[in-house]
Amino acid sequence: MGDSQYSFSLTTFSPSGKLVQIEHALTAVGSGQTSLGIKGSIRANPLPPLCFLPYLIPFTVSTFSSSINCTILAANGVVIATEKKLPSILVDETSVQKIQALTPNIGVVYSGMGPDFRVLVRKSRKQAQQYYRLYKEHIPVTQLVRETAAVMQEFTQSGGVRPFGVSLLIAGYDDNGPQLYQVDPSGSYFSWKASAMGKNVSNAKTFLEKRYTEDMELDDAIHTAILTLKEGYEGQISSNNIEIGIIRADREFKYVIQTQFYSHFYHPVIQSGIAL
Amino acid sequence: MSVSAPLRSPNVQPPPPAPVLQKPSSLLAATSDWAVSLGCFAPQIFEYNGSAVVAMVGKNCFAIASDRRLGVQLQMIATDFQRVFKVHDKLYIGLSGLATDAQTLWVSHILLDCYQRLVFRHKLYQLREERDMKPQTFASLVSALLYEKRFGPYFCQPVIAGLGDNNEPFICTMDCIGAKELAEDFVVSGTASESLYGACESMYKPNMEPEELFETISQALQASVDRDCLAGYGAYVLIVTPTEVQERVVKGRMD
Amino acid sequence: MARFDPYENNGGTCVAVAGADYCVVAADTRLSVGYSILSRDHSKIAQLGSVLKFDVQQFRAEKCVLASSGFQGDIKALQKNLAAKELVYEHNHNKKMSCPAMAQLLSNTLYYKRFFPYYAFNVLGGLDSQGKGCVFTYDAVGSYERTGYSAQGTGAALMMPVLDNQLKSPSPLLLPARDAVTPLSESEAVDLVKDVFASATERDIYTGDRLEIVVINSSGTHRECIELRKD
Repeated sequence: MGDSQYSFSLTTFSPSGKLVQIEHALTAVGSGQTSLGIKGSIRANPLPPLCFLPYLIPFTVSTFSSSINCTILAANGVVIATEKKLPSILVDETSVQKIQALTPNIGVVYSGMGPDFRVLVRKSRKQAQQYYRLYKEHIPVTQLVRETAAVMQEFTQSGGVRPFGVSLLIAGYDDNGPQLYQVDPSGSYFSWKASAMGKNVSNAKTFLEKRYTEDMELDDAIHTAILTLKEGYEGQISSNNIEIGIIRADREFKYVIQTQFYSHFYHPVIQSGIAL
Repeated sequence: MSVSAPLRSPNVQPPPPAPVLQKPSSLLAATSDWAVSLGCFAPQIFEYNGSAVVAMVGKNCFAIASDRRLGVQLQMIATDFQRVFKVHDKLYIGLSGLATDAQTLWVSHILLDCYQRLVFRHKLYQLREERDMKPQTFASLVSALLYEKRFGPYFCQPVIAGLGDNNEPFICTMDCIGAKELAEDFVVSGTASESLYGACESMYKPNMEPEELFETISQALQASVDRDCLAGYGAYVLIVTPTEVQERVVKGRMD
Repeated sequence: MARFDPYENNGGTCVAVAGADYCVVAADTRLSVGYSILSRDHSKIAQLGSVLKFDVQQFRAEKCVLASSGFQGDIKALQKNLAAKELVYEHNHNKKMSCPAMAQLLSNTLYYKRFFPYYAFNVLGGLDSQGKGCVFTYDAVGSYERTGYSAQGTGAALMMPVLDNQLKSPSPLLLPARDAVTPLSESEAVDLVKDVFASATERDIYTGDRLEIVVINSSGTHRECIELRKD
């Protein structure tokens, strides 16, 4: 890269001390589709907070490669969700997946530019695999977040490249329990109890601040996640235009399949009168 | 310079052998040369200094021990040589095999080099992840580090022993290129390994308390090194329990 | 080009322990070549001093037993050779050979083939002329030593430290010379031998299947067999 014509970094300080390229990147994030994440806390005695949410019924979810049946038992974990608004009704919505698994126990969602996201997913997965190969142990969430953030930071300082036009929400479960991190284009990262990004971020955050409680457990959190998306969505939301990923104490990140989603999981929500 | 003539007239030239036939044979030759050089060279290197390292699992504890002799073949160089190193309070590694290379005069501590690289990697891990490595994780790291040098290995055979997350004892050994071997009872390495296998197999019993474990590992090591000319001169024994680490020097036959 | 290679190692381990008035000689019965097991029931123990009776099933009240590991072809030849020499001895002297005499004969026989040796690692056990247990241990070319206990063969390296640990032989350099026999009782010695074989069988692929134990005491020789691991 040294001898390239663009061997200098394109991200340079403005006289006022700002990196405008990064601010532009954040603007790209801010105009991207809304995504959010909520961490459900551990409760000593998990009770169904929503009477209509059926406990102990099996529902089908997709793991990395296959569908399995699983029972809702654990009360804690993290949910990440995003809206999936497509440019035209002619697009096959099943071909778009904005929530991705990085390792069996870590998932990620983004707001901003899809192609940039895929680059980061590829790099993060590689990083996770390298860690696993060395230690024969899954990479801790904080480590993967740090590695991913380091990549994003590098792209703010290297020559011939531009910052990533995405913010990430990384959800995982490891020895330190459930975790939710946000990583920004600058490479800075934060841990959240609940957060949102993208279009309508301030409304979504205000909504979450109102709804979030310390003892909120995961199923409650999933419900809140959907409601938050619904609030900011222009039009009717359905299983076709939102995506949900869940990580529980079983440490298996699950992407909720569209078809299962409606019939099994959110069916009761409809019954309760909160029309999706 | 004159016009170059053909080296041989075409009619007397023997038909060239089919290239397909040549290739495998030359490949084979290369392979066997390599195998011979590694196969014959390596065992001598491992016996150059002489060593005995053993680790045993007890009830919520483990012991790791090594002999104290450092020799150059039959000549004794030092009688207080340490082969067991601390990684952190509950994790130790014993490295048998080549300690120094005295023939090249500059002291290249292959074993120490290996150890220092491991300590470096462990400290890096501690700083990055703000925690100590689990024994299993450390074993994988050692294995990966050794395999990095697959074709120019560190001539040492590690023994790793530690207490894991719930103070679960863990022991393992590996060869010089990182093939792990996990055991639930004991692991041995060094020139006295065969004797150690016999002694440990006879003396070991599961769920020993720390004091009994100390007695057993000391007896096993002492009995074994007394049958090995290249190892001996007493022993270092470490007994590690969840609450304390005891380091003892055992005097045996000092000859 | 194939080289002439008349030797093979058939593996196996032999142990002998001498006590005040007994001697225990033991060997496993596995016969192997490389990674193959040729037989699980091949005796490595030969009764000496029983003229023309080599069948291990027919021990008579004799005072000398030879256990050998190494190349069983050579070992068979060695046993035959010894038997012939012993027969001549009996005819010439009109008495059985004593165990120390047999020990010297074995050494001579082995050294005779110094430059084309018998590939045999022997342990000779029996009672000496005072009725005390004696063990003689050999290398392939006849160097030998009277000891209190010994192990030979593929499992020897595994067993010797344990025997050292349990039997504590006094240094041969001590003056005045100490008695080499072990302080154990006969049954304790037999149990120890069983233990060390069970342990060696765990780690040595050439040792296993069955353990043949011969005890020599004033009442004669007694043979006992126990099972070992077969894998």
